[in-house]
Amino acid sequence: MDKDRYNAERSLLSRKFPANAFRFFNMEEGASGEQYLRIGARTNSGNVYTLHMSLDGFPFAQPKVFVTRMLKDSKGNDMNSASSAMHTLSAERGWTRICHYGPASWTPAVSLYKVYVKCRLWLEMYEAHLRTGKPLDYYLNHQY
Amino acid sequence: MANTQQLNNLAEDVREEGLNQGSSMKDLVFDPITGDFRQVPRGTHHGEGDVVTEMTNKGFAADTVTPIVYLREDELQKAAKSLAKKNYIPAYVEEVDEEGVFHIRLKHQISKIPMYLEIPGIYTRDESQLSDVRMRGCRFCVLLKDSEPEVWCRPVSPAKGDNWQRGNVFLIPSEENLFSRSKGILEVGILKNKRVMIVGLGSFGSQIAIELAKAGVGSFALMDFDRVELHNLSRHTATVHDLGRLKTNVIEEAILGKNPYAKVDKFPININEDLPLLYNEVEKADLVICATDNNTSRFNLSKALVEKQKIGIFGRAITRAEGGDVFRYRPGGPCYCCLVGAGNLQEEEISDVASARRDGRIAAYVSPEDAEAMVQVGLSSDIEPICNMMVKLSLVELSKGTESGITSLEEELIYDYYLWANRRERHYANWKPMPNAGGMPTILRWYGAKIEKEEHCPICSQAIRLEGDTDEKVAGLDDIEIDLQ
Repeated sequence: MDKDRYNAERSLLSRKFPANAFRFFNMEEGASGEQYLRIGARTNSGNVYTLHMSLDGFPFAQPKVFVTRMLKDSKGNDMNSASSAMHTLSAERGWTRICHYGPASWTPAVSLYKVYVKCRLWLEMYEAHLRTGKPLDYYLNHQY
Repeated sequence: MANTQQLNNLAEDVREEGLNQGSSMKDLVFDPITGDFRQVPRGTHHGEGDVVTEMTNKGFAADTVTPIVYLREDELQKAAKSLAKKNYIPAYVEEVDEEGVFHIRLKHQISKIPMYLEIPGIYTRDESQLSDVRMRGCRFCVLLKDSEPEVWCRPVSPAKGDNWQRGNVFLIPSEENLFSRSKGILEVGILKNKRVMIVGLGSFGSQIAIELAKAGVGSFALMDFDRVELHNLSRHTATVHDLGRLKTNVIEEAILGKNPYAKVDKFPININEDLPLLYNEVEKADLVICATDNNTSRFNLSKALVEKQKIGIFGRAITRAEGGDVFRYRPGGPCYCCLVGAGNLQEEEISDVASARRDGRIAAYVSPEDAEAMVQVGLSSDIEPICNMMVKLSLVELSKGTESGITSLEEELIYDYYLWANRRERHYANWKPMPNAGGMPTILRWYGAKIEKEEHCPICSQAIRLEGDTDEKVAGLDDIEIDLQ
């Protein structure tokens, strides 16, 4: 991500979130290692999650988004595999990965905030799944 | 090392041997009275039997067929100059087949057969390389007399009577004459100084590369990390002999086959993983062809084109190549992101499972069976028109500012975006049949469109505005602590 885009993303997030709720990592010029964003989410039921957005290739490719722990499904199984029904992709680092945008619908105009909104929606539907046992795609349409 | 006099003497000896050779040649003739073959001196046969030409040439009197030899004019000119300093010409036989046709390179070994060519008696033979010559059965001798080439050939292990035989020499024209047939239509003198970068050497990029080489484009940068696989063959220019090879190598060979004077730089890389190299190469190019199969690389290229102010031609096919489109970026105009941001994201053709898996067009949760079912390639003849338009746009852009036979196309090809349909299916199901289409769009015709530059495009605008940029705040997060581990 170039400097202009980073500033635009940070500016947008700063207007949406309190300063304690998000933080970028390794964005300064010359920094090595993965560029990523950590951002908090609180669902309507009050549960708090941290999302990790991996920014390699962003904004020309969609960011990888993880919940920073391994979530369990309603039957107690790890949500670690790619699943169409649950809108997940293969887990990495022991974290559940959310499937949010497909490459066919991705454009560089999509902000990290908009990705956040979709993931926040995913978290709400995940909790609905825990309550009802219904898969996430009962609630969420597929988008490619 | 021999001096010039020795060289001249040798040349005379070889010439004389060749000229004497004709009288010692024999034809094999079938005698219908005795039922036997008999040998007669060549030229003395008067019709009482059939000359068994093929056996005469390839059997008993092998290698007496007149060889056909191709030499490159530019290399001959250089060799003539170097002969003033040296008494031998290092050379290689580039191609040997079963037809008595030989391509001799007087410079570097560039291809498969490491054969050594010598002027006998002058150059010390390397026995290990000589064995290759024996395997092929012929030895060649190139003589230059006043810069006129003579090529002589004889079997490596000559039988009695197998003397040096003079071959028919054909010259491959030098660079300035190679594309003389295009003169009047294309400004070949201009094109040979142009550099085209081609990103993606699949069914699109491979054909475009070769067409541009045929037009006389003189310099190429080829980018693709893929290798030729079986499923490529039905639409790619590669052949079964290329299976497993890097596409950059295959296309380099194809380009040099059309224009041996072209400069080809190869980059078998994923451009999304080496952006500094991508930007560097875009800067050096006069025009960039984007023939990749995914939007990430198109966006990356688009950004590089905008930054380096270069012209780019993008092309793609949609599902089963029922149609396709071409987009031209000119500095200052709308970019590829302006196009797709305007809702022109199409359901693209998936031609390769591995590639589609890699960039997520086939999601990880799709089973191998379902993934195979998603592969929907069209016919080669369906993508040809799209490649053809990309080539035409490229030639118009590269020739701009010069008077040529395609100058008038500048008045036709004024659009940023071009649309083509092959069949009345899916996206084009409502289009009219070609006869009596009236004012309705129909298939097998190009339609052009002007694309508006997006005011807040994240790639080409100075004032970007991101999707999701609204005034609402996200509530309930003031007291949370995010995981920073």
